[in-house]
Amino acid sequence: MHLVRNFLPEQYEQTNPLAINHNYLPQQFADVDAILAKVREVVVRGDFTLGRAVDKLEARIAALCGTRHAVGMGSGTDALFLTLKALGIGPGDEVITTPFTFYATVGAIVTAGAKPVFADAGLDCNLDAAQIEARITARTKAILPVHWSGLPCDMDAINAIARRHNLAVVEDACHAITATYKGRPAGSLGTAGCFSFHPLKNLNVWGDGGIMTTNDDALADQLRLLRNHGLVGRDECRVFAYNSRLDTVQAVVADHLLDKLDHISGRRIENARRYDELLSDVRGVTMPERSAHLSHVYHLYVIRCERRDELARHLQSQEVDAKVHYPVPMHLQPAAEFLGHQRGDFPVAEALAGSVLSLPVHEFVTEAQQRHVANLIRAFYA
Amino acid sequence: MREMKIPFVDLARQYRALRTELHATLDEVGHSGVYIMGERLEAFERKAASFCGTRHAIGVANGSDAIFLVLKALGIGAGDEVITCPNSFIATAWTIVAAGAKPVFVDAAEDMNIDTAKIERAITSRTRAIVPIHLTGRPAAMAPVQALTQRHGLAVIEDAAQAIGARYQGKRVGGLGTAGCFSLHPLKNLGVYGDGGLITTDDDALADTLRRLRNHGLRNRDECAQWGFNSRLDPLQAAFAELKLHHLDAWNQRCREIASQYRAALAPQIQVPVDSPDEECVYHNFVIRTPQRDALRDHLAARGVDTRVHYPIPIHLQDAARDLGYREGDFPNVERFARTMISLPIFPELTDEEVAYVATSVTSFFERSRQPAEVGAAA
Repeated sequence: MHLVRNFLPEQYEQTNPLAINHNYLPQQFADVDAILAKVREVVVRGDFTLGRAVDKLEARIAALCGTRHAVGMGSGTDALFLTLKALGIGPGDEVITTPFTFYATVGAIVTAGAKPVFADAGLDCNLDAAQIEARITARTKAILPVHWSGLPCDMDAINAIARRHNLAVVEDACHAITATYKGRPAGSLGTAGCFSFHPLKNLNVWGDGGIMTTNDDALADQLRLLRNHGLVGRDECRVFAYNSRLDTVQAVVADHLLDKLDHISGRRIENARRYDELLSDVRGVTMPERSAHLSHVYHLYVIRCERRDELARHLQSQEVDAKVHYPVPMHLQPAAEFLGHQRGDFPVAEALAGSVLSLPVHEFVTEAQQRHVANLIRAFYA
Repeated sequence: MREMKIPFVDLARQYRALRTELHATLDEVGHSGVYIMGERLEAFERKAASFCGTRHAIGVANGSDAIFLVLKALGIGAGDEVITCPNSFIATAWTIVAAGAKPVFVDAAEDMNIDTAKIERAITSRTRAIVPIHLTGRPAAMAPVQALTQRHGLAVIEDAAQAIGARYQGKRVGGLGTAGCFSLHPLKNLGVYGDGGLITTDDDALADTLRRLRNHGLRNRDECAQWGFNSRLDPLQAAFAELKLHHLDAWNQRCREIASQYRAALAPQIQVPVDSPDEECVYHNFVIRTPQRDALRDHLAARGVDTRVHYPIPIHLQDAARDLGYREGDFPNVERFARTMISLPIFPELTDEEVAYVATSVTSFFERSRQPAEVGAAA
């Protein structure tokens, strides 16, 4: 037996048709033929890496995010990692981020050679801008806000701090494609924006994929160099770099789904509003505040609740695939031991980790299913 | 002789032959809803391990990441040195730099692989590993490498990116060192439809570390044991690779056959890559050498034969390598090869007629120019 398993079956298991799964991909791709026809064109043309479909997708994502450039990458993690590298961030440098995030945010900073410095989250689950300035040192090079669950961070406040201290702002927008802050799209709100096309993201592919957006010509050029072995032309290597390319066939899948993205995000927003209504008066559940100037695209629909683990188990026993994203904040992970943090250092992140629960919110969740979920939760606390 | 158009590579020929199976696979994976990790990846990993004769095979995002992650998993980084050969694709070197270590180059021998007689003098107290490259599908001389690494307590990371299925003294590459690193790039002998890579090893602990490193350092969904990377082989690509793995021995055999046909037609007036009993080459490329390389390429292009040069600028002379302090003249063999080598078309679907046409086109150049062909043995 391997210590580390490839396959986490609970993530994909198909149960009865009434069950509400977190994973909806078989439904999303029930009619796969249109994509297959486009994939076939790639195979016959043979441009498997950095092919035409990648160019097309990059142009469309740049237009969608309102940026001059979009650069396809192997994954959202690599988008973060290589953006930090392209900004020249490495050993001796510090990057400020939130401990309430997915591992890749911190992994990207550490693997770039820099030190992650945490500032606590707010009750909106995002990096609390008011906590940032106290963490800035002479070594700080960038702020890495995470638009958690598809909700943009308070970017005006973060950008003001960054300008004051001459720092780069790298948006971890992996959850947040098409989300907007005061009408401006995620990915255009800082120095660069990093997106993931992981299968369960709002805009997804059939494997790993990612993209970085920026208005900075030099940064885009550097990233194009770093993702493809540092090559300028076939035979000339300008810098020793990396291999992190969005496969052409995956770009085809993303391009196909891009046409449906308004619908996908729209359905999630609609479902979220319905949950907001259905759960507003349930004792034991705290709803996050909603802000008018933020358009939240609900990659996750997150509530905070009492006796969270018990409720999660109860919902799962009723075949409602509620999930916890994530129960252990980054500063308390075994991997973070070298940073010397302890419980109590980031009280809000710790409180969130102990109370958040994500309810299925994807496009295939029906109103009847949502009422069912709300009734289960209401009954649990009755 | 009738004019022909011989492409350097034509992936669509293979696609047409496997079309039905590939479509079924794509449809199956599409409908499964599992696009990251999962059973299709594990099935391929099991088959790849058994094919290479190793205990473990671990799918990763590409062949470069395979080397990079092995270096990281072995704890090789800042202050360490890794010995390799500058006659390779640049990924062999950048992965060492990206891991934080220093690449130390050793010249190639006449077979175009690392010259094992020159390795020992490059070893210092900082040396941690040797990365021999099985360039063009020809295994490096692994017995001397193994003897050296045992004596000095070094790891051996096989850069087998071009060599899947090749055998050294009867044993498959990938099982000849601490770990073997393969690329599944579309142009490789076992190629998928995008980027993909594979690591083989017999070391259980190393395999576990690699499985964590490729997946965010995760021990399970919620516990992060070490900060890692995201470098996973998509199950869709793994399913294609699994399907193609069944054909790989036959394809490699066909490449060896084509190499024999080239050899029979070009030797003795042109010296060709030799086939040694110790080194069963799978001919990812068929490389010959001539001082008139550019003229020969033009001659072949005029006859409709597409060729390539792998690779015209040795790694130590790339702009990226300027900080390493090498200069022209440091590795005379590699530099000579870079000026003289040329890769002829070789892929399983190439017909005998096409092979004959390429060979005749090559010999006609030397007959016409009456140049004695200093075409050395090439890997």
